[in-house]
Amino acid sequence: MYAIETINLTKKFGDFVANDNISITVNKGEITAIVGENGAGKTTLMNMFFGLQRPTSGELIVDGKKVAFNSSLDAINCGLGMVHQHFKLVPSLTVYENIMLGAEITRKKSPLIDKKVEKKEVQKIIEEYKFELHADDVVENISIGAKQRVEILKMLYRNVDILIFDEPTAVLTPQEVDELLISFKELKNQGKTIILITHKLREVMEVSDQVIVIKRGRIIGSKATKDTDAKEIARMMVGREVVMNVNKEYKDSSKNKTAYSVKNISTKNNSGKKVIEDISFEIKEGEILGVAGVEGNGQSELVKVLSGLMVATEGEVYLYDKNITNKWPDELRSSGVGIVPEDRYAQGLCKDMTIYENMIAGYHSDDKVCKNGIMRRNEIEGLSDGLIEKYDIRVAEKNGNVSQLSGGNAQKIIVAREFDSNPNVLIVSQPTRGVDIGSIEFIHNKILELRNENKAILLVSSELTEIMNLSDRIIVMYKGRIAGEVDGKKATSAQLGLLMAGMAAD
Amino acid sequence: MKKNDTILKNIFNVVFPVACAFVLGGILIAAIGENPFLTYWVMIQKSLFSVDGLLKTLHFASPLILTGLAIAITFKANIFNMGVEGAAVLGGFFACVVGFTVKGLPTVLHIAVCLLTGIVVGMLFSLIPALLKAYFNVNEMVVTLMMNYVVVEIVKFLSQGVFKDPSSGYVSTYPILDSAMFKKIFNSDLTVFFFIALLVFAVMYVVFKKSKLGYEIKAIGKNPEFSEATGMRVKNKIIIIMLISGAIGGLAGSGFLMSEKYRFTMDFSGSPGLGWDGMLIALLGSHNPVGILIAAIFYAALKTGSEYIGVFTNVPKDIVGVIQGLLILLLSVKFLNERFRFSNKIRFLFKKSSKTDFNK
Repeated sequence: MYAIETINLTKKFGDFVANDNISITVNKGEITAIVGENGAGKTTLMNMFFGLQRPTSGELIVDGKKVAFNSSLDAINCGLGMVHQHFKLVPSLTVYENIMLGAEITRKKSPLIDKKVEKKEVQKIIEEYKFELHADDVVENISIGAKQRVEILKMLYRNVDILIFDEPTAVLTPQEVDELLISFKELKNQGKTIILITHKLREVMEVSDQVIVIKRGRIIGSKATKDTDAKEIARMMVGREVVMNVNKEYKDSSKNKTAYSVKNISTKNNSGKKVIEDISFEIKEGEILGVAGVEGNGQSELVKVLSGLMVATEGEVYLYDKNITNKWPDELRSSGVGIVPEDRYAQGLCKDMTIYENMIAGYHSDDKVCKNGIMRRNEIEGLSDGLIEKYDIRVAEKNGNVSQLSGGNAQKIIVAREFDSNPNVLIVSQPTRGVDIGSIEFIHNKILELRNENKAILLVSSELTEIMNLSDRIIVMYKGRIAGEVDGKKATSAQLGLLMAGMAAD
Repeated sequence: MKKNDTILKNIFNVVFPVACAFVLGGILIAAIGENPFLTYWVMIQKSLFSVDGLLKTLHFASPLILTGLAIAITFKANIFNMGVEGAAVLGGFFACVVGFTVKGLPTVLHIAVCLLTGIVVGMLFSLIPALLKAYFNVNEMVVTLMMNYVVVEIVKFLSQGVFKDPSSGYVSTYPILDSAMFKKIFNSDLTVFFFIALLVFAVMYVVFKKSKLGYEIKAIGKNPEFSEATGMRVKNKIIIIMLISGAIGGLAGSGFLMSEKYRFTMDFSGSPGLGWDGMLIALLGSHNPVGILIAAIFYAALKTGSEYIGVFTNVPKDIVGVIQGLLILLLSVKFLNERFRFSNKIRFLFKKSSKTDFNK
């Protein structure tokens, strides 16, 4: 008997077929990974499992019984629990209060909540699954990884046997990913069935027993993990051969001219705490400097200071001989600093504006697109059409809003805009977060192309493999300071990991 | 194609509440035993299809076009500027003061000086909430709303005191000099002020639709963080937008005074007031300049039409006030819907209750 079996499950939205005759089986007590690019239909399938959407046709069988869920409550009662990508927690409540929310334990014959018993119960399951958590902590103070564990416990407390994880590692730091993968194994040992939706192959290879690949709403293949490898899965997902490791030739750039130099900059956040302290580095022409680190160690603030969104309280930034400390973002761009911001939809794009309007943002004062304060519509459209072509951006409607685009294509708009403005220096932050494999490959190649055109590039990313694959030199940030510098050619993840954890490399 | 759909939807969103208001108003007219169709016909015919009436309508539309634009430019940038009324009153008052104190200027120069005074006063008035918003993050809605009351008390104090016309039986300033008055064109109600309003409309049309500033206003309204990150310097832009709004508001007030009222009284701006009418007009016109132009003329037609209703039918002219009230009510539903997506929530409710049919 399977934990979950589907027979010809189909979901249509109007004419669009999101899931087309899906027939899969999920074994009990195993970890099944469902992989596919963004928009392949993974989430729709899971939403049907969890009762958030109802199938157009087909059957869903859980534990040998045919079921039809009307809501997620039905699914939970059937033993299915889902851990969402975006957590649904109350920040001001404690861990145990969040877990008990909706299932409060009351004192006998009274409507009052018995907090003592609640806390004990929660502590019990925390220990049972060996989670690193304290029942007493307030949720807003705990790390993202811990929040995720609270979400998992919420489901475990409700006695579910099948856990569905929707992109669980998208928001986690490398260390937290490792911890989560350990938790997965622990859960499996306790006899739980896990369904993991992801497009990160490392996790798939590491923990799963079975891999199911979805593409354009159809099942492309289903394999036991031990019989396949990451390369094969990637090919199945994308439909063609994918270069997993970018072919990068090392060039000695140490004798090149220094294009960008940061000298002893520090800054404070709104509450007056020093978030970056005494950061100094130089980038030569034709060099990629990677900035690694566990998230929240000052990388975001560093990028903000360098891109004009935060003020440096001390220190200076130079572009060649020109002092560009604390310049406005428009001044930075016009003096030749391209910026790919960390948060795509907050700083990089405006979802509710058209693709054309987004294509010129930041460069909208250029004579090319704006004359005497009047926007030159034809030039803008011509320029944008060229970039859409050149950067292979898949657009349904050029006059439509950016919100219609997938994550990868949206990111390519930013990349096209910033890379094509012919900058001397590029500040690139999290260029491939939440982007599908095909686009990742494309963006990485573009970054290397620019390096070969002798541009200086600062690459900030929480994906360690990305940093290691692309960078010529790597600096690691820890608690707002530079913990160490490593040669990109010789760097190992163990070495970087130590620096990221704040331990000296020697 | 998709774009046409949204345009149609926008038009429907505006036409539907207007039609509803008229239907409800019609029921009221029928309830007092009069023929609603005849009443509406008189109203439309007299305010739009007769030369005198049309010119009068355009005359009354002039300040409304301006206040509508003044509201729209800030609302588009997601700045809830409630201070257009204050700017208009203050602009009108000081234009009036200049209009009767400065003597011996030729007409054109005197008019220009008065208008300029109104504009500058309106800008200064708007600068206060703008600076508070940009540099101290103070909610502009509260500040502008409160400042309107401050303005009322200030002009009341001044027109009861130093500037009071002793020959007038009520609180009023001296009338402005002849040289500061807009002259009637061919004995109709229309003055040059209407063409000034049209000129401002044309400029604002270009600003909204074609200019870099318009692009930035749109971006700031949709996503301020993105705007800052792409170098639009949001703080400065907020101040610029508020200054433009204040200038247009001040111009509306001073022009209205110099073309219609000629002296400042406490009920100068009317009820509900030029600025508030402007808010309704901006809403009716979906913050689109052309829409605002049409809405302002329509709204002014209601005003002129009301005067004729009293003369030609037995319906009291206050019925127009009722229709205006209904319009505000119905349009606020649309406004709330945009903010809180009521229609989606209602649709969701229906979906929930009909979920028993599985294979839908």
